[in-house]
Amino acid sequence: MSRDINVEQVSVVFDGRKGRTIALEKTDLHVEAGSFASIIGPSGCGKSTLLRLIAGIMTPFAGKVRIGGQTPGATRRDRGLGFVFQSATLLPWRSVRHNIELPFDIVGRKDRAREDAICTEMIELVGLTGFENALAHELSGGMQQRAAIARALVLKPDVLMLDEPFGALDEITRQHMNIELLRIWAESGTTALLVTHSIAEAVFMSDWVHVMSPRPGRIISTIEVGLPRPRNLDMMRTQAFFDCVNQVRDALFMRDLPLVGVPNQLEAF
Amino acid sequence: MASQHDPLLARAWRPTAVIVAIIAGAEIAQRLSWLPVYIPSPSAALANVIAKPSLLFANLGPTVGRAAAGFCIAAFLTFAAASVAALLRPLQGAVYNFGAILHSMPIIATAPLLALWMGTGAPLQVTLAALACQFPMLVGGIQGLKSADASQRELLLVLSASKMQTLRYLLFPSALPYLFAGLKVAAPSAVLGTITAEWAGSDRGIGAMMLYALFAYDTPTVWLSVILTCLLSAAGYGFWAFVESLVVVSTREIELAD
Repeated sequence: MSRDINVEQVSVVFDGRKGRTIALEKTDLHVEAGSFASIIGPSGCGKSTLLRLIAGIMTPFAGKVRIGGQTPGATRRDRGLGFVFQSATLLPWRSVRHNIELPFDIVGRKDRAREDAICTEMIELVGLTGFENALAHELSGGMQQRAAIARALVLKPDVLMLDEPFGALDEITRQHMNIELLRIWAESGTTALLVTHSIAEAVFMSDWVHVMSPRPGRIISTIEVGLPRPRNLDMMRTQAFFDCVNQVRDALFMRDLPLVGVPNQLEAF
Repeated sequence: MASQHDPLLARAWRPTAVIVAIIAGAEIAQRLSWLPVYIPSPSAALANVIAKPSLLFANLGPTVGRAAAGFCIAAFLTFAAASVAALLRPLQGAVYNFGAILHSMPIIATAPLLALWMGTGAPLQVTLAALACQFPMLVGGIQGLKSADASQRELLLVLSASKMQTLRYLLFPSALPYLFAGLKVAAPSAVLGTITAEWAGSDRGIGAMMLYALFAYDTPTVWLSVILTCLLSAAGYGFWAFVESLVVVSTREIELAD
């Protein structure tokens, strides 16, 4: 099962030592159930903040966030959220398998055999078979991030959120991970929302790319990616791919372009 | 690469060699009268033990028992206080300050004052041992329970973990290196606290033995009690270092080239 994400007129204000900063101003975002969406923007534009709002890690100053009609807190308590952080955030004293099992430990064990089977399946899905008993520091960065993805998926969440999960990886590993993630996403059938600052990654992965501008942070453009699925690396050489990349790039650098999405976002210009 | 075959031996030989060298040096210096003051040689202190074995047996046990009891009580209370401070952040300052104030009281003065109230029996020494060693464990506990990083906390939040689950699955395991640092520093303090407390009128214990020997100008026995105190303190430290090596998963040990 998957759920849609609705963000309506959300604002976030930080009170810091240098006075007030408006991190997000009256931002709208809609992600269709079962789709793959990306948020892209320069550093400090509030994209991680937006993701944290949807996950319920932060609460908005104004506006509302709904996931399948429910509040983030309620979705979280239903274990409907999976979150992958910038760093893998594996617990260093637990093995790969025990890290992936952590969500079960917290929900409370009901049927150990079934839960073990799900873990094994997830380890297979992310390609870590044979590394179950390794500790985090014994794995490469890419493998750590795979374990983190398996951990986020183990409770079969309705929504999977990814905060620049491959930002620290090299280009080669990153492309591998992108393809893997798309495969995992397609198999799990969740709604996925990815924060990234790579234009190519956003276009390659997504059905919709939401472009953010900084100070105050808001979504200025939404671009539909018409590439067919399943995606493969050859598509990155097609004209359709380049057109989308150029559209995103133009939106990022605020060129006057026909905008797709909510009409009132035109007021930003 | 001998260290990888026999780590215990590899780790132990250097400190052991230092101790042996110091003892041998002291013995030689005394025999050759190099010292400006009279200090009995290590062999004289040892001869003292062989001559009066009851000295050791009657006094070592009570001190070890009291120091261990005080240490355990302090470890339990400080860990409980640090956990409360970790779960209820506003209390953290108060807990810290209370520990610091207790730690800053001079034991040499509080021992006789507490003796008026509790008598000079074992409860006094246990209490003072606990007071003497609590602060490093409290600091270790509070710092350790704060040491989990922000994204690890967010992870537990996203998983809707309760406060107790956060403590169990995240805060406590990440606090272990800090807790062991506290335990290692506190163990010798518990021994020293017990010995100071024994001066306030105990009839048994290394501290009492030290005091009686001082008044009797029995220098070898004074030195024996000094050596025993050192050994006990070092043993307390060594015990926790050993437990730590068994419990704490060393996450990263990189040996840089010299």
